[in-house]
Amino acid sequence: MAFRLGSLKLPRLGKTSRKDDPYWDFFINRPPADLANTVTEMIRNAPAGNVFPTKSELHTPEITSSHLKGMAEYFGAELVGVAKLDPNENLEGFPFAVICAVHADYDPRSAPGIGGQVPVQNGLFITFVLSAWIRELGFRATAAPDPDAEKFAARAGLGALNKDGRLVTPKFGANVHVANIIRTDLPLAPDG
Amino acid sequence: MAVNRETNTQAPSTSSNGAEFPAPYLGRTVRLVGPHVNVDMNQSPHPKNARGELGKPLFNWYRNTVSHDQLTRVSAPNHFADRRHFLTNVINRSSNGKVNTERVAVDDPAAMARHIKAVALYMGADVVGIAKTHPSFLYAPGGGRYVQDGSAKDDFQRNSPEDLARNFPYIIQATTAWDYNKLQAHRHHIGDAAYHVSQMKGVMVLKALEGYIKELGYTALRGVVTPQAAGVAGGIGELGRNGLVINKNFGARIHMPDPILTDLPLVADEPVDIGVDDFCKICRKCANTCPTNSIPFGDKVVHNGVEKYKINWLTCYKLRPYVHEYWGSCLTCAAVCPFTKPNVWWHSLATWALHTCPYFARPALVGALKWIDDHFWGMTRTNRVRWLGYDSGVKPGDQACTVAGCTASHDGKGTANADGGTFGYYAPLKENTNRFVKRDA
Repeated sequence: MAFRLGSLKLPRLGKTSRKDDPYWDFFINRPPADLANTVTEMIRNAPAGNVFPTKSELHTPEITSSHLKGMAEYFGAELVGVAKLDPNENLEGFPFAVICAVHADYDPRSAPGIGGQVPVQNGLFITFVLSAWIRELGFRATAAPDPDAEKFAARAGLGALNKDGRLVTPKFGANVHVANIIRTDLPLAPDG
Repeated sequence: MAVNRETNTQAPSTSSNGAEFPAPYLGRTVRLVGPHVNVDMNQSPHPKNARGELGKPLFNWYRNTVSHDQLTRVSAPNHFADRRHFLTNVINRSSNGKVNTERVAVDDPAAMARHIKAVALYMGADVVGIAKTHPSFLYAPGGGRYVQDGSAKDDFQRNSPEDLARNFPYIIQATTAWDYNKLQAHRHHIGDAAYHVSQMKGVMVLKALEGYIKELGYTALRGVVTPQAAGVAGGIGELGRNGLVINKNFGARIHMPDPILTDLPLVADEPVDIGVDDFCKICRKCANTCPTNSIPFGDKVVHNGVEKYKINWLTCYKLRPYVHEYWGSCLTCAAVCPFTKPNVWWHSLATWALHTCPYFARPALVGALKWIDDHFWGMTRTNRVRWLGYDSGVKPGDQACTVAGCTASHDGKGTANADGGTFGYYAPLKENTNRFVKRDA
């Protein structure tokens, strides 16, 4: 239990220790025997839905961006940015990429357990619902994993790349997971 | 519910098998007193409505309506334009994974109980509790499994509730809380956002927890347990007059999603006492503000062998098609509940005071707390809430710009900011709903 004092919360006090939990390592590091037991697999395999036939009335790109970011934060994103795509990255006619990131206590690339994949699970939740919401606004959006996700994140102002090409953010350092990139034609104002 | 007790041989009565399954202690708000017939999930509101048994308006609301609100279309059951946009459909309709054949040995059930709770909280749950299974908590046999917006199948569908309770002794209930500030805009799409989005998150957490239990090598069954019973027995909260489980940190703003029935060795929690029983006896704020008079003003009744406050779910449900254009879920009884407060120290202090107060002095303490609540928070919630493009100060159906500082003309639709004000538009429903929902005698 965190020590609750509102804005005066002390970050170190009451932080949960996992030392007395004999199963924690299994949770974080043991790869699942059946991938059908993981929510990440269910969401990854889900097909994208249709774009709503009527476009919603939107305000300026700046306001739309702020609403999109507020929505992503409400779904659980801790860092959100919008990057403008170059014409050569923009083969399907998506001018913008929305990048959401969540903190990751354990690096999901080296922790294959259900617990180690929790940041991936949270990221998939955000990008699934957020891209579905954009399609319901009447604009195209696809959420897909991208090998250059961290480069896009750096371009959208979430942080900087270190010498290994990993994203480093002011708030979480390198303990950050960049979720699927949402490419969209929703008129947005790019960051960075 | 026309279940014939004499022919329903599989349904337990507390007297016939009281030795093996003594009546469970459920705290001070609920008591299992008489013969109890297990609830048939097919007789619960949504399945009844899906079969068209509740009339045309409700059936059409349930099956044939698309919401005007974009967020509702991706987060609420049944009002989507495209089913594939609703994450709960994706998660709850997916095929189930296999139980891991390499079972993890559990030497200390207490350590495993601590671990499972830590896992649920790590995955994003706000509250988690473990209940000891009692046959009366389970749905009636032969009715199938009840997973809303999804399905569940297992090898134990023909088992009686007693067999299930013997083989699967623990129920894990993990739930998410709604955002307090958004809930202030009850009877509005902002309140819907608080309710539906956290429910989707809760569904995901429970599905992930179910998968994790199978990876540990134990069985996890879904759609078997009545959620409210599991919540009360597992110490998540006490049952209020409004029929909602009231938690010490979040009040009534928590979901009761479909819990997990499992044979994982655990240690069960005890029901809690945070003074809900004493408060509900006096308060009646939810009953006063319910737009359909579905919440009783009177005492507890014995319904199906359970002593509790019994709400009229049918009249509560019947409101929905009439307000569908303006909001999805009413949520007024949760919003006005004095226990529904931000999770901060003064709220903890109040529930702690109720918890430690001796029974005889509680009515006086409740009176004082209710006076504070009425004077500082008002008889109902009428706050104006602005969130993204939403503004509860705009009358439902009206169009107005909700962007702060916007000076555009918007073709005569007006700007919501021009009139200012701190009060939200609060639909006065009592007069209108009396036309189709008569007050319970």
